[in-house]
Amino acid sequence: MQFSKNWLKEFVDINITTEELCEQLTMAGLEVDGYKSFKSKLTGQDAIINLDITPNRGDCFSILGVAREVAVLNNLKLKQPSVITISSTVDSPTNISVCSEAPRYVGRYIKDVDLSLKTPALVAERLKISDHRLIDPVVDITNYILLELGQPLHAFDHDKLEGDINVRFAKEYEKLTLLDETEITLNTDCLVIADTKRPIAFAGIMGGFDSAVTNKTKSIYLEGAYFKPQVIRGKARRFGLQTDASLRFERGVDFNLQDLAIKRASMLLNDSVGGKFGPLQVVEEQKSLPKQNRVSLNINKTNSLLGSKLSKTKVKSYLNGLGLSPKINEENIDTLIPSWRYDLSIEADLIEEVARLEGYNELPTEPFKPLLNNKEISKSNKISNLLVSQGYSEVITYSFIDETDASLFDTQGNHLNVSNPISQNMGVMRSSLWPGLLNTYIGNLNNGEENQKIFELGSIFKQDKKGGVREIKQVGGLIAGSDVTPQWNQNPKILDFFDLKGDLQAIFKNLRIDASFEETSSPFLHPGKSSQIRSKNKLIGWMGVIHPDVINHKGLKNEVLVFALNLEALKEKSKIQYKNFSRYPISQRDLAFVVENRISNTQILKLIKAKAGQELVEIRTFDVYQGENVPKGKKSVAFNLKWQSRSKTLIDEDVDEVVKKIVNSLSKEIKAELRS
Amino acid sequence: MDITSIRKKAIDAVASAFDLKDLEIVYKSFLGKNGELNNLLKTLGSLPDDQRKDAGQSLNLLKKEIEDICSQKQRDLVGIESERKLKSEKIDVTLPGVFQKKGTIHPVTQTINSISDFFGSLGFEVASGPEVETDYYNFEALNVPADHPAKDMHDTFYLGNGSLLRTHTSPVQIRTMEQQEPPLRIICPGRVYRKDSDLTHTPMFHQIEGLVLEQGASFAQLKGLLNDFLTDFFGQEMELRFRPSYFPFTEPSAEVDIRWKKGWLEILGCGMVHPNVLKMAGIDTKKYSGFAFGLGAERMAMLKYNIPDLRAFFENDHRFLKQF
Repeated sequence: MQFSKNWLKEFVDINITTEELCEQLTMAGLEVDGYKSFKSKLTGQDAIINLDITPNRGDCFSILGVAREVAVLNNLKLKQPSVITISSTVDSPTNISVCSEAPRYVGRYIKDVDLSLKTPALVAERLKISDHRLIDPVVDITNYILLELGQPLHAFDHDKLEGDINVRFAKEYEKLTLLDETEITLNTDCLVIADTKRPIAFAGIMGGFDSAVTNKTKSIYLEGAYFKPQVIRGKARRFGLQTDASLRFERGVDFNLQDLAIKRASMLLNDSVGGKFGPLQVVEEQKSLPKQNRVSLNINKTNSLLGSKLSKTKVKSYLNGLGLSPKINEENIDTLIPSWRYDLSIEADLIEEVARLEGYNELPTEPFKPLLNNKEISKSNKISNLLVSQGYSEVITYSFIDETDASLFDTQGNHLNVSNPISQNMGVMRSSLWPGLLNTYIGNLNNGEENQKIFELGSIFKQDKKGGVREIKQVGGLIAGSDVTPQWNQNPKILDFFDLKGDLQAIFKNLRIDASFEETSSPFLHPGKSSQIRSKNKLIGWMGVIHPDVINHKGLKNEVLVFALNLEALKEKSKIQYKNFSRYPISQRDLAFVVENRISNTQILKLIKAKAGQELVEIRTFDVYQGENVPKGKKSVAFNLKWQSRSKTLIDEDVDEVVKKIVNSLSKEIKAELRS
Repeated sequence: MDITSIRKKAIDAVASAFDLKDLEIVYKSFLGKNGELNNLLKTLGSLPDDQRKDAGQSLNLLKKEIEDICSQKQRDLVGIESERKLKSEKIDVTLPGVFQKKGTIHPVTQTINSISDFFGSLGFEVASGPEVETDYYNFEALNVPADHPAKDMHDTFYLGNGSLLRTHTSPVQIRTMEQQEPPLRIICPGRVYRKDSDLTHTPMFHQIEGLVLEQGASFAQLKGLLNDFLTDFFGQEMELRFRPSYFPFTEPSAEVDIRWKKGWLEILGCGMVHPNVLKMAGIDTKKYSGFAFGLGAERMAMLKYNIPDLRAFFENDHRFLKQF
């Protein structure tokens, strides 16, 4: 809310600089967003102050409300708004009826107004300062009162009303054309002001177009009503109609303010557009009016929560300043909450008021003591650190992605959509980390970085069959180009499947996880260069070369490799258990077999291990060869095997015996020939 | 040949040996099986008895002498040869080292880690929860009823099935309170989402919230804790001020500003947990009180690393990332 400082001074006699005032307001919880000096032709030196008011302080959406706060902060008396009664000279032709959601309605009929006259200069200046457009003297004065007292007012063109005024809920599908000429269809939970024929205003939000004051208006009906916050809340948002009135009614308007507001408006109208005034029509449904709350504050609870040592009398004086009529009752202070403070309903609310007035920075500060068993927190960082040591850099991409990208990696198209996305290309919750990684890669590639190793830790989102959402925490990565560190003494190596697999295997080894890589088919990975990763027979991840179709779609040329692992499965398993090692010498043999291409390394290893005996301690594939000296359709695979006994030195005969068994088995099972 | 001339010849030969191989040949030619000394020894038999003894003694002396100068020469040559070898092995030590380039941790993660480490040392545990939340955990359990104006403070993303993307990590506090008995000290870092995008807002960012729920937890302790935290984070004593504010889930509520350059800069929100929140989570409010605080990781990272543009965090430009 933006307002003139001189206006504020009409209600509280402050003698401090604008800077001091703003500092004071900010430190009391009414944050000043900015202020600037201003020279008024009407009131002299002035300042424009812009306040950022939190939703709980509806009472401060007015000059009067801010003045009340300033008065407390400076220990001054609030000057109540002046009223000169405009006596009635005509009868009102209109009767009013209300309902429980609008338990008070104050109205006044004013005849023979002259709208060709101008808005008073001071009203005009102050409305402009507060960013209000000038419309006509009647509307301008209602806006002035809204700003001054916080009571929204509305003026109808009385000649356009049909019979009496009734505050009621809208009928189903009832239509209303608003002041801004949009027509809305109301729901039955919307409160309206209606004449005998139709709704004439959306209560607490906006007046109707048909009954609006125009420059031809001859008589008006002025409305100052109290609507309960609950009935206004949500409606403005539903229809996209945030107005000055709805803002205040939603947060709560003082339910004792309506008389004063209509009287102040009458004064100003009488001075500007003249007219003959009808009587002040006050219609109430007494039983539905809010009751003033009684709240007690316990002095010990207050001091224990704040860590303070405030005395009862000091606390009482703070509460007194706020108009809470405090009474000391042993260790308690009983209060009666004034009609304008909707935010005070429990003890904690009063404690905040006390803390605010004492000053948050004046309250004591105590050291916060650590617990003896401090916690090791960085567990999940281990995988990040392993990846970083292998040359991967962490990226963070948005959890919502473009639907086209999502479809590239989720052909079922069962996407979890954001109903109100911030933009079209952020409309789908990612069900894979790969689109974000791929787009990051492309962005950096376009900036000239061809060699990349990146990773991201984050959740992916999948819709389950019942319509629920499954969130899975994953680590995903991408590599492309050549080794990220070309050296002067080596040729750069183009990164391939086995580089990525090696990186992952190093991680598994470090975390002591037994993982196996198996062939897989996936629509977004290269069918011949992809693998699923299993541990203890559970699928824990995927890796491979991105499918050439996806690469083409993205306008790329080179191979890009990706992986994704479920973090849950990477929780460190076994603890380290030391085993005695054998001190006997190792015997080794190199064996090369010629086998058909389709035979996998794992298959051969399995057969070898089955026959290699208990004393085999290591087996390593050290060469795969196709070409000269190897028949077409076949390959030569070479293994290095190491044996070591725990009880004796192995002699050649021992090892030769085992090798013979292996060769025989491989020959029988997969027609493998030993190469000599 | 007489002894004197053999001696002279041997001394000359040893002295002129270029390397160990040469020396070996020299040695053999004098002291080997068919060396000159052995040949001379064979001729001793033909000498008269009286001369034979003297000649034998002289020959033995000469043999000893040649052995000595050979081994001396050998020691010299070993030294010379190793020096020569070392010289030939010289490399250009100014060429760059060969190393495996390390990657980098994203600055937001680094910020979260450093903050987590601080709170971990005080006995806080990290808690986490879902990013797709229900209205109950994101709003209602935090004392934000339906249609409440405070909801306007958070522009929320909704998903097709009625759930929403959490607008803060506070739901994790509720879930933790429901599952664990106090006393509690937790921090909840994670992604949060708000429908906001401009120079100073991104629709996704990271929040770190903390909760202390203990007997006697007070506003004074909250002030002390945040003072220590900000000093630790910025590595220097920070001037800060607490300002009354409003959050539906705390009462009293405060914003914390730090002195930054010439003015004050809002850096985090905090307060005593609202009794309604504690009651809804089933906490005995007579026994326990609590305080909570929340801050944005990106904002903290911007201040710490002097990063001017929030959006840089999610562009993941390698020229940005490699600096961390």
